[in-house]
Amino acid sequence: MDKPVYIQALSLVTPLGNTVEQHVDAFTNGISGIQIHEKAGFQETPIPLAKRAEITENRYDMLLREALEKAKAVFSGSGKTAVIVSSTKGNMDLLPEDTFAGTPGIVHEFFPGTDVFIISNACISGVMAINTAADYLLAETYDQVLVIGIDAVSEFISYGFQSLFALSNETCKPFDKDRNGTVLGEGCGIVLVSNQKPAGFSVLYKGGSSSNDANHISGPSRTGEGLVRSIEKTFKRSGKKASDIDFISAHGTATVFNDEMESIAFGRTNLDQVPLNSMKGYFGHTLGAAGVLETIMSIVSMEKNTLFPNLGFRETGTSVPLNIIRHMESKELNTVLKTASGFGGGNATLILEKQP
Amino acid sequence: MNILAHSYVSPKGTFLNGERLFITENEENPLKSAYQQLGAEYPKFYKMDVLSKMAFIGTELLLPFFPEDADLENDLQLIFANSSASLNTDNLFVESYEQLNNPSPSLFVYTLPNIVTGELCIRHKWYGENCFFVEESFNAAHFSEWAQMALNKGNNCCLCAWVEAKTNGEQECFLFLLTGSEQDKHSIETELSTLIKQYRNE
Repeated sequence: MDKPVYIQALSLVTPLGNTVEQHVDAFTNGISGIQIHEKAGFQETPIPLAKRAEITENRYDMLLREALEKAKAVFSGSGKTAVIVSSTKGNMDLLPEDTFAGTPGIVHEFFPGTDVFIISNACISGVMAINTAADYLLAETYDQVLVIGIDAVSEFISYGFQSLFALSNETCKPFDKDRNGTVLGEGCGIVLVSNQKPAGFSVLYKGGSSSNDANHISGPSRTGEGLVRSIEKTFKRSGKKASDIDFISAHGTATVFNDEMESIAFGRTNLDQVPLNSMKGYFGHTLGAAGVLETIMSIVSMEKNTLFPNLGFRETGTSVPLNIIRHMESKELNTVLKTASGFGGGNATLILEKQP
Repeated sequence: MNILAHSYVSPKGTFLNGERLFITENEENPLKSAYQQLGAEYPKFYKMDVLSKMAFIGTELLLPFFPEDADLENDLQLIFANSSASLNTDNLFVESYEQLNNPSPSLFVYTLPNIVTGELCIRHKWYGENCFFVEESFNAAHFSEWAQMALNKGNNCCLCAWVEAKTNGEQECFLFLLTGSEQDKHSIETELSTLIKQYRNE
């Protein structure tokens, strides 16, 4: 990176709360947002979900407004501003009409006059949006970009994942031997990506990339090819190497094939001994929002020099054993790798570094 | 930045660099007809959604125009956009569980706009960067900016597309292949705006 790019957590709204402190409490005490919801599945089957209890209707718009309000209260940036919204599905209540049509208008209620972009690239949308924000700063198109990650729980998504037999019937156990599928969740997170050092805690964004598996539209690569290529490209762009990484915030959906793929990719890139967690045990899988939510909690981990446990993990369940974080511990965290993988064969990664 | 080639696929026909190659406007199934006239052997085509089918045909036509020295496997970025994401397939999937009482997994996997880029990467063994944006309408300035950003970070070529299938039946896929260097500030905005107007007969 020729010029410094700063990244700061602005707001986080999930079933675990609507402040960063509430999330730290939940992560510290091993509290999950996942509960069984009777009749939420297809033909009224019970399924586990991580749903924000405070919201009873219009979930997408409510999540977006709540997070924007919180972000606006702490936002102190100035200069030319853009907003990038990353979301897999947008507002599913708007079907059969465009599910993204209402989004720019809601953003403008809080940040009028900003250019609003939407990235919809399945489960890697959030990481990709942060990477795109940094690209905009380096091209000097904008001085700062607010990156929003959002997806809401809907019957559409639940029935779809059920039809693929990709859902767990209980909790989400990323990387565990007994993992049996993912759990869907919802949330909205907002980060500020800026060329000015923001007031309050921020870290440096060092580089990122994406890569396609070129293998299958809905199944992960058996060899982790796309994830390996994205990690290597991000290393090259950031000037970092495997031995620099202090912590990995992995994707870890808790499906059998995804977590296996990630373990192979981390083995191939010499990252299998680096402390790692998936946060899906707390948040569930929040699709396009996941990359932003998990980047926020990675920044919090760096601020507190704390490794949070991979909730739901008991026993190694991947062919390449990983250094899964089992208990909360203190560790100086200078350099962090965030990864995401998703449908369409997409993989995206980024590297964060503590400011000197 | 330079436009190396462009194609356009819609029910009325398939075009390459401004010239109509396949006439499909009176066909019952224009995309199937275009695929047959193209002569590519890729049976997966029949399983694809409309967005992927159009992008498949348009991309096959652009293949001879990719720069010979480019490392397409690693350094080709795909930049795609449309206004309604995967809405057409979304509504078909809703129908599968609301009316047919049987949520269809084969429809569900196409309820993501970026499946289009995934299909192209599988077909051509492209492992590079992809991004799918959702915007109100085709915006030449945005494509120009995104491509410049992609080239700035070391990609040597961009395959861009505006690929839309609206619920009212309007369908189009405008593909264009861009290359250039960081120093090369030639704006392609006006050219792109003119091209899409010509293709649309506006």
